[in-house]
Amino acid sequence: MIGSNAAEAHPVAMQHVLYAKEVNNAPIIVVDPRFTRLAAKATDYVRIRPGTDTAFVMGLINQIVSRDWYDKEFVRTRVAGFPEMCKVASHYTPEVVEDITGVPASEVVRIAKLMATHRPGTVVWCMGGTQHSIGSSNTRAFCILQLVLGNMGKAGGGTNIFRGHDNVQGATDMCVLSHSLPGYYGIKDGSWKHWCQVWDVDYEWIKSRFHSKEYMNKKGFTLARWYEGVNQDDKINQYTPIKALIQWGCAGNSNSQMFKAAKAMNKLELVVIVDPFAPAMCEWGDKDNIYLLPCSSQYETSGSLTSTSRQFQWRFKVVDPVYESKDDYEIMAELVKRLGFADKFYKNIKKIPEDITREICKGTLTIGYNGALPERIKKHTLNWHTFDIDTLQAKGGPCDGEYYGLPWPCWTETHPGTPILYDISKPVAKGGLPFRARFGTKITYYDGRTENLLAAEGVANPGSQVKGGYPEFKDIVPGTNWKTDLSQKTIKEAIKRGMAPFGNARARCVVWTFPDQVPVHREPVHSPRPDLIAKYPTYEDKPDQYRVYTRFKSEQDPELVKKFPFVIITGRMVEHMGGGAETRSNKYLSELQPKVYAEINERTANNLGIRNGQMVWIESPEGGRIKVMAKVTDRVDEHTIFLPYHFAGQFEGKSMVDKYPEGLAPYAVGEPANIVTNYGYDIITQIQATKDGLCNVKPA
Amino acid sequence: MARMKFLCDVERCINCNGCVIACKQGNNIPVGINRRRVVAINEGRPGERSVSISCMHCSDAPCIAVCPVKAIYQREDGIVLVNKDICIGCGYCFMACPFGAPQFPSGQVFGARGAMDKCTFCAGGPVETFSEKERKLYGQNRIAEGKPPLCAAMCSTKALLAGDADVISDIYRKRAFQRGGGAGAWGWDKAYKGR
Repeated sequence: MIGSNAAEAHPVAMQHVLYAKEVNNAPIIVVDPRFTRLAAKATDYVRIRPGTDTAFVMGLINQIVSRDWYDKEFVRTRVAGFPEMCKVASHYTPEVVEDITGVPASEVVRIAKLMATHRPGTVVWCMGGTQHSIGSSNTRAFCILQLVLGNMGKAGGGTNIFRGHDNVQGATDMCVLSHSLPGYYGIKDGSWKHWCQVWDVDYEWIKSRFHSKEYMNKKGFTLARWYEGVNQDDKINQYTPIKALIQWGCAGNSNSQMFKAAKAMNKLELVVIVDPFAPAMCEWGDKDNIYLLPCSSQYETSGSLTSTSRQFQWRFKVVDPVYESKDDYEIMAELVKRLGFADKFYKNIKKIPEDITREICKGTLTIGYNGALPERIKKHTLNWHTFDIDTLQAKGGPCDGEYYGLPWPCWTETHPGTPILYDISKPVAKGGLPFRARFGTKITYYDGRTENLLAAEGVANPGSQVKGGYPEFKDIVPGTNWKTDLSQKTIKEAIKRGMAPFGNARARCVVWTFPDQVPVHREPVHSPRPDLIAKYPTYEDKPDQYRVYTRFKSEQDPELVKKFPFVIITGRMVEHMGGGAETRSNKYLSELQPKVYAEINERTANNLGIRNGQMVWIESPEGGRIKVMAKVTDRVDEHTIFLPYHFAGQFEGKSMVDKYPEGLAPYAVGEPANIVTNYGYDIITQIQATKDGLCNVKPA
Repeated sequence: MARMKFLCDVERCINCNGCVIACKQGNNIPVGINRRRVVAINEGRPGERSVSISCMHCSDAPCIAVCPVKAIYQREDGIVLVNKDICIGCGYCFMACPFGAPQFPSGQVFGARGAMDKCTFCAGGPVETFSEKERKLYGQNRIAEGKPPLCAAMCSTKALLAGDADVISDIYRKRAFQRGGGAGAWGWDKAYKGR
């Protein structure tokens, strides 16, 4: 478990972790800069320097490969780019890893052996793995580790990313993002045409709604940097600054360098906040430009959701929305009506929310939502007791033979769901799958080697007509492929032939469209190791990353650590959730965790003259500062400061409680940690780097 | 005859406070009253453990022995309860209790007369079962409904066990057996240093 503190962030999932430890005698290896409550439950704890996950994991891979502990048959038949990857990994010797990560060289070998001798094993990660400038390399390294161990497509294996709440996977699948339409279709012309067909809306009309055709295919601003579209501190690539903002179920204090988002509030013409509780954003504006729409909670509405394990469930309404609150569907419908195009988008939607689910299913063929119709989802949820707790398969009853929640891809209306991805031991019609043929059939790498990307001869799901690799299905219905053929004939044809609609290929270790084709270590944008900046510099600046100039190299200053000598990391506490608007408004949770604090190592505290419980100032290189209580603890090492990020209601030492509408101020107030999180974004996704910045600490 | 007991499996308790919240929310306990709390030892260091503590419903309860007005009594199933109509709020039980279980609120529902409040094992109190008075003075009576106490029912890792001592000790014994020589076995660190 790397970059995850499941004991605080996912307490219910801990049942399974502890079960593995107790019943299977599985080693629980926790890799984290902080000795978390999860680490307290681990069998092995590895403390790494923040932002060095890739170096550590590539070090493990290097040991596993060079000591011949890797799964040779799996690699031979189902993995691509292996020699290229090994060459890169060979740099990360235990000694090099020790220098970068701080993990003793002997520990690198020991952990690699532990992984190799305990198969299958799973890798769990969370935002501790992703929120870095090399976050996308970290997650790829975790996947490559599982590939070389042969841990993919097996019960007990795989990569299990614990999500932040019960429907984060569903939100991801709907691509509530600026660079893709729902179902990971992207924003190319074909993607728009596909969804226009699903919605039954004229493509030309959609096109006419954009400023120009260019913007239809141009990635938009991200959640991490939307405020730059207003403030323009970094140059933006859009014909106009952002003028209006709707923030729906998002607190605002989860944004890094949050004071910049606060500054943007006064420049916006219109801000609409939709939330059951008044979130942090309510405090920030000085102008009369903010509208707060009370929406209902999840218990006051119904609908489908998708869990971490790709399982659908139906959430039934418990009570009607209280007071004047409305559920999200109603608010959205009213908005669309007032914008004047309800007639266009509600053609297929008569019964809410069932028809919405049905429309999503119809269009989202990429990941096989099409078989998960509302009736089937409800049937599963209502008959959950008929499913086996280990295999997830129903034994008898109305869902006999199906897997609980129809884990996607659920290819047809009779498909049982896919409980484990890429499992070639089962027929596709019974929940098996090969790796997807997503990136063509052949590639010539940078070293000149050419490789066939399809799976090796003899490797396919039982019953497959082709006994080996094959490309994706297309032109069964002329001019379409398996993911654009809305008649679903292509998918059905593939299943009939015992094959996966998306082909049977190899998982790749080399991504030829990324700046780092194989994951390599790069120092955080704000690094505490000037000597390593020279050796492992960050990327070149990106002039147009999601419409804004994003600094990498020009922001990486070897001198910065002199003024800001501590690494700052943020995370969750079990009592509070996200921005904390809901949990800090609960009197019992607020009683348990009423205040924000900074975790400081005892040695550091003594050197700085800080006592336990004393107030301190934390200052960021960007100019943000917060006044918080010091919690002197061994959880962090002497170079690191930890802050929980759930708080709001105080801003750089000033109380903001009177800014809330009457009666809506939360019980627990404190400085948002994100005032002092740093500049820095992932090179691919632009996720904010909140887990490896720098800061200074001094007594208040 | 069953004897009701709590057992907190420290290998499982992750200090999530779910038991505390379930107790407070479900019994409508005022802020400041802690029928249950989670205590961490060696916080942030290897060997960190946490344990959820409330009234232990002692077999030979010191609080009963010292109560000057005989407000505290033990049911046949071992659950120790206080009669709030008799309690004078003197605090002798607080002095006698090794676990800090008795709570003394003031000015709110439970402390209307300054009476002592503590964990009831979700078994209500000495008034008519399921009556409004029972709910107000003592909280839910889940035992009468055939349910375990809220804290144990809500425990996210099933660390906190509650019920017939024979049954829960059997659950715990099975766990200890399964853990075997691995995680958490006493002496493991000494015998197999560094593994």
